Amino acid sequence: MTVSGEFIAFLALALVAIIGGVLLLNLKKVVHMVVALVFTFLSIAGIYVLLSAEFLAVVQILVYSGAISIIMLFGIMLTKHNDEDEGDSKGGGWRKAFLFLGVLAFGAVFYIGIYNLDFGSAPAALHENNPEQIGIELYSKYVIPFELMSVLLLVAFVGAIVLSRNDEKEEADKE
Amino acid sequence: MELLNLYQNNYLIVFAFLCLGILLPVVALFAAKLLRPKYKDIASKYTTYESGIEPFHDARVQFNVRYYVFALMFVIFDVETVFLYPWAIAYEKLGIFALIEMLIFVVMLLIGLIYAWKKKVLKWI
Repeated sequence: MTVSGEFIAFLALALVAIIGGVLLLNLKKVVHMVVALVFTFLSIAGIYVLLSAEFLAVVQILVYSGAISIIMLFGIMLTKHNDEDEGDSKGGGWRKAFLFLGVLAFGAVFYIGIYNLDFGSAPAALHENNPEQIGIELYSKYVIPFELMSVLLLVAFVGAIVLSRNDEKEEADKE
Repeated sequence: MELLNLYQNNYLIVFAFLCLGILLPVVALFAAKLLRPKYKDIASKYTTYESGIEPFHDARVQFNVRYYVFALMFVIFDVETVFLYPWAIAYEKLGIFALIEMLIFVVMLLIGLIYAWKKKVLKWI
């Protein structure tokens, strides 16, 4: 394994992503959690850049660390914050042991699964005109998934409207 | 593979800007901490408004669910734009079939928008 700039960049980005995820689980205040999540999203965008997926990286920043985190902040503002801090429940020794075993098993499974994974050789020139390549692939080979995407977006949209309008139904009937 | 190296080296500038963006607030706040006079023993300095009304309520209130629907609509049309962008760039190589695909896609989301309109979600209070 040679230490190249790419390797160092990957290590740093992966470290930031993991630290963001751990902080997301451990921080006490919800807004801080969202900020930690934004760091994870940004470092994943950096990893996309390393993988020559430039367009995907920009979309990651635009949609995930932009829009999704804002929507999470809106979700936080919708909820009430009257609850007191519960003391963190310390499990018994057995519980910790099982948790540790679970983490180990998870790590082992992923190590076995990922270590020799072969996606086939990727085309070499992904970084040239990246959005154009995506467009040609998406709208000639992967038409059906793309159209299913639009149905999925429509379902999410209508579902959100139905859920949010449900409690105001009586008011609307009065008008 | 020279071009790939060029592509990666271009991101060093992005990295430099990222470092600058992170360092700027940290350095500014730290320098202010060094420069400002210390007033740790004056209680009134720690109030929210030093010469104003005492704050009496929690700043966080529960927002109306209406805001959330608008945010969700923004995300959905954001994703639509993301899909439009590679289509627009590759348009000359794709031809008429891609145009029909994209029309179906836009009409799908238009149905959602019309539904929202009919349900009076777009009306502000």
